[in-house]
Amino acid sequence: MKRNNIRIAVQKEGRLKIPSLEYLESLGLQFSKENGRILIVSCKNADAEILYVRHRDIPQYIQSGAADFAVVGGDILYENNFKIRKVKKLNFGECGLVIAIPVVSPIKKIEELNGERIATSYPNSLRKFLKKQKINAVIIEIRGSVEVAPALGLADAICDLTQTGNSLQENALKPIATVFNSTAVFIESPFERGQKSEFANKFLTATL
Amino acid sequence: MEIIRKTFEQFGYSPIETPIICPAETILGKYGEEGDRLTYSFKDRGNRLIALPYDLTVPFARFVAANYQDLPLPFKRYQIQRVWRAEKPQQGRLREFYQCDIDIIGSKSLICEAEIVKMIVAVFEKLLIPNITIKVNSRRLMNVILQSFGINQSNTISVIRIIDKITKIGEEVVVSELQKMGIDNAKMVIETLTREDTNKGTLKKLAAYDTTELGEFLSYCDSLGVPEKNLQIDPTLARGLDYYTGLTFEVISTDANFGSICAGGRYDNLCGLFSDKDFSGVGVAFGFERIMLLLEQLKLFRSSNAPSQALVTIFNENSVKDALQTYSNLIEAGVPSEIYFEPEKLSKQFKFADKKQIPFVLIQGPEEQEKGEITIKRMQNGKQKNIPVNQLVTYLTNYYEAK
Repeated sequence: MKRNNIRIAVQKEGRLKIPSLEYLESLGLQFSKENGRILIVSCKNADAEILYVRHRDIPQYIQSGAADFAVVGGDILYENNFKIRKVKKLNFGECGLVIAIPVVSPIKKIEELNGERIATSYPNSLRKFLKKQKINAVIIEIRGSVEVAPALGLADAICDLTQTGNSLQENALKPIATVFNSTAVFIESPFERGQKSEFANKFLTATL
Repeated sequence: MEIIRKTFEQFGYSPIETPIICPAETILGKYGEEGDRLTYSFKDRGNRLIALPYDLTVPFARFVAANYQDLPLPFKRYQIQRVWRAEKPQQGRLREFYQCDIDIIGSKSLICEAEIVKMIVAVFEKLLIPNITIKVNSRRLMNVILQSFGINQSNTISVIRIIDKITKIGEEVVVSELQKMGIDNAKMVIETLTREDTNKGTLKKLAAYDTTELGEFLSYCDSLGVPEKNLQIDPTLARGLDYYTGLTFEVISTDANFGSICAGGRYDNLCGLFSDKDFSGVGVAFGFERIMLLLEQLKLFRSSNAPSQALVTIFNENSVKDALQTYSNLIEAGVPSEIYFEPEKLSKQFKFADKKQIPFVLIQGPEEQEKGEITIKRMQNGKQKNIPVNQLVTYLTNYYEAK
């Protein structure tokens, strides 16, 4: 499918949506921020479209060439081991993937996680971490609301994204290790942009 | 063997088996004098002469000749069976050994050859064997080159047999043996046949001859993503067997000091031995024992009889029912596990798990029963953990071992 415009994917809903849109505006693009149910929104002043998609799907859109650029959390790239060219590290969306245990847990050091159950929606990142630390543990994969797993007796620890640490505190959890820290990044599709490359390149220059 | 089988199936080959006990006339007279001598044969109780297969290609050719009307042509089959040879056992070659054959029959396209090469690479990749070289030559091209040096057709087979030994006996001996046959320009023949460093170079050197066959084959391999480093055009490669008519292959490991681990080629006339129909075919055989030997030498051998993941113990007479229930749940969830048959002392049951290298032991005594829990004991470090019984399968299937 040939397109002459460029497509920029952003998170449909969640913590990165608003800062991502503000960032694109700061580059000079004008578009309606209230997209409602419409998932592709055209820019008013440029031959570009904003694509509102699920955060976890963004790397696939970029890898398949369905989108040319995207704002995505570094955590998603790390978790899925996507090798995509990062154009720029952005100064928002800071967060860390941490391992946390109930404040009442007898566990003190990460070595004591041996044989314990850890709930997470980042199984690959957790596996890499456990491998490096030589810890054998049970990885319980949950899509969301990970913080509640210990209280429900489903897990002994969690491995989840945290920004301020508030959510951990509210669920009586304390972090004992950091798997990684990340920010939002601006990424580019590896595919040739053909005809539209002139505008795309101009746009790319603006981001730097 | 499972890895080899799975790779064959991934490429769309169907399994067949052919009879082990054959009437002697099926086997004898197909391999030449030496083959006949090495064939195991005996008389059965009805005084009929019986022979055991010498390889899998001849029984397969018989199978195709008898069944071609019902086979989807081109027909792709694999066959992993024992064959017998009455000769002195050598390294990686016993009197009874396995061959893993694949053949495509009923197509002359060089895509067949390229597919087989792709599969050879896949098999060794999955076995984690590095540094393999697939040597390729064209029997057709070899005949043309030999003829251009004035070697007449009646002599080519014997000449090819001598050249076949070049890696074993060396270039000089080959030249002098050829000279003994009356081929005065033997040195030039061998020089022409000696390969260059790259396949491109080798083809360029042979540009005076028709190398379209090899060129086409290489371009198919390239499109299939066969790494160039694994592929080596070697114009001296002969493969002793007479029935090859097109491309021939031989796979060696540059880490090993023994012969080929896989070999084969295209044959046009083999099925004609058993019927009036002729089908062009191409195939290779993997030498199973040699591959095992190589795996051992490279310390890559992985035992395939992995122990069960968990042993369900029986705490006492009253816990038999729970233990059986747990055992049944694990088996149904696909967790490899076993149960101890007697309510003996736990220490004895643990010892059994240790001996069988089973990593997890499961205990459901009265205490656990009351709480609806199960104790998981990790044999490696003796650490115990209690979890609700209904989380057991999740626990064991999601256990990550950080090797």
